[in-house]
Amino acid sequence: MSYQAAVKDVSYCYDGSFQGFLCCVFESFSQKEIPAAVLPPAEGQTSLFPQRDIPTRPDLARRVAAGLERLGPSVRERVTTGFLADEPGKELTLLRFARLCFERGPSAARMLGDADVSAAFALERAVNNEGCKYIEFLRFEQRGTMLGTIIHPRHNVLPLLRGHFCSRLPDEDFMIFDATHGVALLRRSGKVCYMQMKQYTPAPDPAEEDWQALWKRFFHALTIEERRNTACQQNHVPKRYWQDMCEMQPDQGT
Amino acid sequence: MELMDKLEILADAAKYDAACTSSGLDRAGRPGTTGNTTFAGCCHTFSADGRCVSLLKVLMTNVCAYDCAYCVNRRSNDVPRAAFTPRELCELTMGFYRRNYIEGLFLSSAVLLDPDYTTERMVEALRLLREEYRFGGYIHAKAIPGADPQLVERLGLLADRLSVNIELPSETSLSRLAPDKHKAGILRPMGQIAQRTAQSRRELAVYRHAPAFAPAGQSTQMIIGATPETDLHILRLTEGLYRKYSLKRVFFSAYLPVVPDPRLPAVTAKPPLLREHRLYQADWLLRFYQFSAAEILNEEEPNFDPYLDPKCNWALRHPEFFPVEVNTATKAQLLRVPGIGPKSVQRILIARRQQHLGMDELKRIGVVLKRARYFITCNGKAPVRGTRAEVAAALLDPNAFGVGMRQLSLDDFLPTALPGAAPLVHQLADSGMDAREAARIARQEALTCLTKRL
Ligand code: SF4
Repeated sequence: MSYQAAVKDVSYCYDGSFQGFLCCVFESFSQKEIPAAVLPPAEGQTSLFPQRDIPTRPDLARRVAAGLERLGPSVRERVTTGFLADEPGKELTLLRFARLCFERGPSAARMLGDADVSAAFALERAVNNEGCKYIEFLRFEQRGTMLGTIIHPRHNVLPLLRGHFCSRLPDEDFMIFDATHGVALLRRSGKVCYMQMKQYTPAPDPAEEDWQALWKRFFHALTIEERRNTACQQNHVPKRYWQDMCEMQPDQGT
Repeated sequence: MELMDKLEILADAAKYDAACTSSGLDRAGRPGTTGNTTFAGCCHTFSADGRCVSLLKVLMTNVCAYDCAYCVNRRSNDVPRAAFTPRELCELTMGFYRRNYIEGLFLSSAVLLDPDYTTERMVEALRLLREEYRFGGYIHAKAIPGADPQLVERLGLLADRLSVNIELPSETSLSRLAPDKHKAGILRPMGQIAQRTAQSRRELAVYRHAPAFAPAGQSTQMIIGATPETDLHILRLTEGLYRKYSLKRVFFSAYLPVVPDPRLPAVTAKPPLLREHRLYQADWLLRFYQFSAAEILNEEEPNFDPYLDPKCNWALRHPEFFPVEVNTATKAQLLRVPGIGPKSVQRILIARRQQHLGMDELKRIGVVLKRARYFITCNGKAPVRGTRAEVAAALLDPNAFGVGMRQLSLDDFLPTALPGAAPLVHQLADSGMDAREAARIARQEALTCLTKRL
């Protein structure tokens, strides 16, 4: 795809926030250039190209956000959801995608045959898929006064879980701790917030063992031995989710 | 009896029911209640046989007054019996639901005393769950054939989905194997449910707070392989059921012999899982691909090919239909291309408005071309020219030759034919051949056969 801008040998370094990323998009416009890389702080050292620091300025971020908003939900969602991916290089992919959409209009999001568009689409899909999986597979435990769980997602899926669980459990307080990224989604008294956390305390209540034992009994009773097909099971529930699902754990010998 | 043991008995007794979906209805959670439902449904886990677990699927009781030959719970079978109290059932449902184990409850029951008494107990449990426990998640309830229409009505006002099992594909088979059940007793509640759901939908359109009757519609299930009906017969019946009773789903359950009975396949017989799989594929063609039963099977070919999925089979019988030009074909035409599903069709339709599609573009869109490439052109050009043997190899359904590893001990693995493999693979493996070799031979044979056909 041709842009009204040339790819330049420069790396943008930003603070890793979404706002910061939007400022990178702004920079790329104002300089009429496409950077060769966009790097969050953790990757800053590895760049081959000269680096330019992009400061995060809320006013500029807001202008870009408003622009994305004007391009409609499919463009906006692809950028915001894609940004939740935990994947090196996502920023450049999304920046190139955003620029294309600003130049071509919202219909560019549907040009799935284009390399940038399909790469951005792949990011969005990976995040959404994982979000859906955790909606299905996470298991709450009663921990003190609220329900809680620890998950180990690849991407930052907490924002995708929020709406679903708030609707599912309207009167319940709960916390979902993303141990991979050290962030927790806390909902208490009808309010939601995200917190940085190292570990989750309190531990599950003792009665949880009984619930999990009941659930496991049910789970095993359901299996029809003559149809046993663990390959199919693993297709549907990839192994990496098993650590967060109590029924997949081997029985503790007593 | 401990709750744990009851749960095990009543889940084990319910496991042969195929339906475990929580789909068909969007309902947001409201303050003061627990639970919502989502239109697409939600699978919370998958059991070791690869089936989705979405609902707490249990029987109210497995004590049964009837004696259906194909059923583990029949009166004359010697199995442990148990029954839930309505409260136990509610506690379990709520406890599981809050922990995100399940999407709701699938309540069925054996016939305790008679259909009315059984249904009353089910109604009582569901009423408690909805009214006292304020449960807003998914409920699928089974209507017991022969129950009073008023009880079915009450059941439908509490449940999201109702189902009446048609049990067997023909009336003859039904009266032979389930002497206590009658076709009319099954079809009457089906008709009632279809009519009430439609009526309630109309009322809801006018008046938002009208009571919803089974808003996620109804489904049914039949056992296949226990009786001699052909696949064509079953598929026609399925098509008829969709039309007449506006069913959401028809489920097929491969018969698994439980006890010796001269009227039924021998206990050593394997459940016809591949056939079940083919029926589901054909069912998808009916529901999402605009196929009719008569296009899929016919009197000359009344049963499915074990090695080809029904869509490939149709394509082979209709060479005049292909190739299809992806840049100009209609939706219906694209849907007929082997290997292209409704999702890919949607993406093609969207993407081709922006640009011409060649092979690279199709790949980027995520269209799987393994089979499709032999049936399409991109801008008038065929993507590949395959030899007949190559085409045949791409079309054969790998499921039919599935071999897995069974672990006998820590360092001893034995290849075994997967349950869904073709009958020939099972036969050869059962006669002592290495399963991988059996699969290879079966595949070779199918390949030769198919290559000739092309
Ligand atoms: S009525 Fe239902 S539970 Fe009872 S024997 Fe027949 S199929 Fe089984």
